[in-house]
Amino acid sequence: MTLTDAPPRESLATVSLSKSFGGVKAVDDATVTFVDGKVNALIGPNGSGKTTFFNCVTGMIKPDSGSVSYRGNDVTGRSPHRIARAGIGRSFQLCRIFPRMTVLENVLVAHRTDGLRSLLKGARNDDEIERARGYLRRVGIDHLERSEAADISYGQQKLLELAGVLMAEPDLIMLDEPAGGVNPALIGRIGTLIRELNAEGRTFVVVEHNMEMVMSLSDHVIVFDRGRPIAEGPPSEVQTDPRVLEAYLGV
Amino acid sequence: MLNASDRLSVSKAFVAKVVVFAACAAALLTFPSWAANPYILSAGVVVLSYAVLSTSWNFVGGFTGYISLGHAAFFGLGAYGTALLITKLDLSSFVAWFLAGVGVALFAIPVGWAALRVRGASFVIVSIALVLIMLLVFQSWSDFTGGSNGLVVPRPFPDMLRPEHHETFFYLFAALLAVTLLCWWLIDRSRFGMGLKAIREDEDKAEALGIPTYSYKLVVYVVSAFFTALGGGMYALWFGDLDPVFQFSILIGSYMVLMALLGGVRQLYGPLLGALIVGTALEYFKLEFGDTQFHLVATGLLLGIVVLFMPDGIIPAGMKLVDRFTPERSSIREMTAAELLERDQSESSERAGRHASTPSDPEPSTTEKAKR
Ligand SMILES: Nc1ncnc2c1ncn2[C@@H]1O[C@H](COP(=O)(O)OP(=O)(O)OP(=O)(O)O)[C@@H](O)[C@H]1O
Ligand SMILES: [Mg+2]
Repeated sequence: MTLTDAPPRESLATVSLSKSFGGVKAVDDATVTFVDGKVNALIGPNGSGKTTFFNCVTGMIKPDSGSVSYRGNDVTGRSPHRIARAGIGRSFQLCRIFPRMTVLENVLVAHRTDGLRSLLKGARNDDEIERARGYLRRVGIDHLERSEAADISYGQQKLLELAGVLMAEPDLIMLDEPAGGVNPALIGRIGTLIRELNAEGRTFVVVEHNMEMVMSLSDHVIVFDRGRPIAEGPPSEVQTDPRVLEAYLGV
Repeated sequence: MLNASDRLSVSKAFVAKVVVFAACAAALLTFPSWAANPYILSAGVVVLSYAVLSTSWNFVGGFTGYISLGHAAFFGLGAYGTALLITKLDLSSFVAWFLAGVGVALFAIPVGWAALRVRGASFVIVSIALVLIMLLVFQSWSDFTGGSNGLVVPRPFPDMLRPEHHETFFYLFAALLAVTLLCWWLIDRSRFGMGLKAIREDEDKAEALGIPTYSYKLVVYVVSAFFTALGGGMYALWFGDLDPVFQFSILIGSYMVLMALLGGVRQLYGPLLGALIVGTALEYFKLEFGDTQFHLVATGLLLGIVVLFMPDGIIPAGMKLVDRFTPERSSIREMTAAELLERDQSESSERAGRHASTPSDPEPSTTEKAKR
């Protein structure tokens, strides 16, 4: 499941992307291309700029310079909802859900709406509810659909966030530490889910510190250090790359 | 799972709702006939106008969670717009009233466009600035607005006697309130409303899910300004005399906020209930103690109490109280908790099977919470 013969297509790509906070260069001249149809992993030590990179790509913060393109279209500086509608879904490192809505509503919200008509339609459309339930079932929390999202466990909230992302039917799914703060049984479930969804044709970019998960899950690994990629390749190669070892152990 | 009993309780709740609604509507609509004197009746008109204003405010405050303390700007503009269209352009009263509402809605587009770029406390401050600017403009541009001398609004029904005038406006305000509530209800149950509520909960997250939050906020802000202006215009037609200090007062804006918060901003009838309580209290204080500043202190205290002890307002607080005495309703949560436990147990046993080395952790949900 690592290498294929077909030439990789471009999915998401950045050119010389930079973003500083005060004097800190969080993302520094990062030129990265993710492989379409694959599970891409983005790893790197704490503070290496992975989350900031995510935020720049998804429009949550404006990069200082550089560009972002998705499937060949320039999406630099577009607002987050337009990037979401272009087909990029994301999760947040500290899982973000709508705490005072029910689990089902959390998923229903994410449905893409077009046009005034559909906006004024009832929020509880039967087809949509069925679709939302389908995603809840997929992540395994459909039995909680009537609970308030604030009341379910953190691991379940992570699954809920994923279900919400899926509801918007993105082609590219960016997950910021899906296994962070989650118990091992759930990590296994999330890994399986990512693999299944990938098999259905969705591209993934996963930021993760759990190396076991990264190595077993990903097809392509990009290593960040101090805001820029320092190595990339199949997991087995990256694992033994001296630069990567240095970034993780050195300084 | 719970379907059969659910449906039963839903239909029961529905019947109860209809009965309560009919009773309240009847009490409201017959008020003019059992109001003791014209003074009480005019107090009723004031309370209803507060209900309209507070419900209008709640389009922004309730759905998006943006607290505007400056909605008096739209109230005053609606009032002055109506009066000026009648006096300067000779339009008939209710045509002027409606056109003023539309005009204020148009005015709210650039205002919202600018104000909705900031969130939280900054938005509150911008909203206050708006009403202060309006106050200054209307005070100093006295050739046009009458300034501090006031502006007399021609009466729409010149032949009516006072009691009749109050009664007519009581029903006009009731009708306006009904339309405002209907519009809020329609948004509440729509996909648009769900997006707005997502903004209230977490605006960035809503954006990331593809909701054009800025446009959503702007639309609902304009709707809110429109109804607030209609409330202001109706007030002008009823009261017949305008003064910038009253029309553009922070106090009026604060009342709208207080009433909505007190009743509950997430509830359709929250602002109405808050207006009934606060409005009645205000009118009572004015009657008992005259026009002292005492009611200001009382208002401030009440606002503090609500924010500290009932952040969701009295409707949710009351519902929680009712919940405590009715076992069926709370069973939904118990059921979830039981299922949660069941799931956690199956998960931990599954895990114990796979990783024989980690049986010391029987309840994943608690450990996950601890990690947070
Ligand atoms: N909003 C912000 N304001 C100021 N500095 C920030 C902000 N966000 C990130 N930084 C800084 O940018 C750098 C990169 O942070 P970032 O969160 O992107 O790293 P990361 O690779 O995601 O780390 P981790 O693995 O711990 O999540 C850090 O030095 C951080 O302190
Ligand atoms: Mg991070």
